[in-house]
Amino acid sequence: MPAPCPPRSRVSWAARAATAASGTVPGEQAPGPPGSGSPGPGPLTRPGRVRSVSGLVSVIGAAVVWIALLGPVIALLAHLSWHAIGSALSAPGALDPLAASVQAGAVTLGVLFVVCTPLAWLMARGRLPFPRVWEAGLLCSLLLPPLVIGLLLIFMVGPYTPIGELLGRVHLSATNTFLALCIAEIYESAPYYVLGAQAAFASVDPRLEQQAELLGDRPARAFRRVTLPLATPGLAMALSVAWARAMGAFGAVVIIAYHPFGLPLQIYTTLQETGLASALPFALVLLVVALPLPLAAYGWSARARRRRRG
Amino acid sequence: MLDADVEVDRRDLTVRAALAVAPGERLALFGPSGAGKTTILEVIAGLVTPRRARVVLGGRVLTSTSPPVTAVPPWQRRVGLLRQHPGLFPHLSVRANLAYGHTAAGDEPAELAAMLGLADLLPVMPARLSGGQAHRVALGRLLLARCDALLLDEPYTGLDASLRRALTDLVVALVVARDVPAVLVTHELADAQAFAGRLAILDRGRLVQTGPADEVVLRPASRRAAGLVGYRGFVPSADGAVAGIHPERVVAGAQPGRGVVLSGAVITCRPAGAGWEADLRVDGAVITCRLPDKPPGGEVAVTALDPPYFGPDGAALPAPPRQQVRGR
Repeated sequence: MPAPCPPRSRVSWAARAATAASGTVPGEQAPGPPGSGSPGPGPLTRPGRVRSVSGLVSVIGAAVVWIALLGPVIALLAHLSWHAIGSALSAPGALDPLAASVQAGAVTLGVLFVVCTPLAWLMARGRLPFPRVWEAGLLCSLLLPPLVIGLLLIFMVGPYTPIGELLGRVHLSATNTFLALCIAEIYESAPYYVLGAQAAFASVDPRLEQQAELLGDRPARAFRRVTLPLATPGLAMALSVAWARAMGAFGAVVIIAYHPFGLPLQIYTTLQETGLASALPFALVLLVVALPLPLAAYGWSARARRRRRG
Repeated sequence: MLDADVEVDRRDLTVRAALAVAPGERLALFGPSGAGKTTILEVIAGLVTPRRARVVLGGRVLTSTSPPVTAVPPWQRRVGLLRQHPGLFPHLSVRANLAYGHTAAGDEPAELAAMLGLADLLPVMPARLSGGQAHRVALGRLLLARCDALLLDEPYTGLDASLRRALTDLVVALVVARDVPAVLVTHELADAQAFAGRLAILDRGRLVQTGPADEVVLRPASRRAAGLVGYRGFVPSADGAVAGIHPERVVAGAQPGRGVVLSGAVITCRPAGAGWEADLRVDGAVITCRLPDKPPGGEVAVTALDPPYFGPDGAALPAPPRQQVRGR
């Protein structure tokens, strides 16, 4: 019986690090051992059953950690009142920051998808010279604190830089504008997307692409018919992680795009001006807006994986 | 007609080989692991860039490194390559996998699926298939994609013997019915013989012998080729020549009319299949022979049926040297 072969593509340590974020496991799409469909008794074929004391202890331990991690969300829900939500959200202009954040987030996702997906594919397939250099560069931008990114963006696209002057000639500015908000969000979320997408592409066995070409598909067609469908669950997860980063972007935004107000800034300024209680409803709005896309992507990729198992 | 003359550099060796396979003909490319067999197939399929090559399939020049320089990309070659890893697309059902490269309309996919015994599996996802089923789907997918040549790269490694034989028979029937040239790469002589009428032995990047399957085994061109097709003992003869002894070409007892009589002491004896395999020490050489009955201990006489002879340089001798091998 042929053992499931790991894909030949390079899965970098950086991609592995991002795997946790994207939810795909490299090599997962290699076919399972034949005959794995035969159901049989035994603990291996029935996950999720608690069969021993140690199993029970591990379930309880996992539940404690899980609840602890969810603690902030629980606290948020516990301290909210309908009245507070209603009065906070019905104030004039209260939802403008939400609109700004969602619009900038949508632009960010579009740019990331168009610009960074090819980069991720090239990195996953080892088509770039000095692959470690590319990864190290991405890790640098991943490791930079958002606040520092904001500071450095001022030096890069601020009004007195060459780029800033070029933008000025077409009457654009990359400080305190919608463009600035988008730039800040892109810089905060791009490394998450690229590394997640790289892991997603690396999980597609290159031999499948080769097979598609031997069956008569040009590379672009093979990419569309084989690579993309197989990588899509992982790509969706990477996009949704990027979306969550973009929605919550604060550090870089507070430096170069204080205006137009995004949601996180609204929370911060409300906290500064009127206190904790009035900031909480906006935190709920952020959660409600940022969460559905990742949840949908997660559910969808889980379904795609289940379907593939037959 | 598939005509391939290939020279390709690998990290460890340069592979040089010329093959010609007629439509409907089956050639087995046989040799040890690492001999360069797969590399040759990959050049024919357009997956590897050769140093020098000319590949012509049915009048179409697929690869030519001499002017006019040609390198048809893999997706325009119409060369089917079946590997050990069946490479089914995990996101597509068996039906969609079968029809992947199929462009013409009609009932052909359904007919072929029935012929391959896959009719009930069409809606199933590949993850649910057994190894043999997956290979049948991969084979059907190639055949539906209109390939003009079929290249099989150790496709059945890891499947059990009876399944392997059944799949081989199926491929042979399909190759004959469709009249395409087929090349099987394998390191198992039995697989090569079950599939092909003609055998080419590749060793360290060189073709050492090409010929009908029986001739290659009974009359190896060199001592090295003999070793590859299973000759396990070389008994000294006259003039520095040696006689090659194949374990399965040995019968018990002295039968001077049928070959060379050898006698020697039994060193070890072990069950092999339905019979016994014994190592004998003959004239300072050790030979291995397959016998139906367990040989008694001590000296035994066996007859090697019409063995091939090799000169001191390792090349095959056309006739036995004058002085026959003598038993001790």
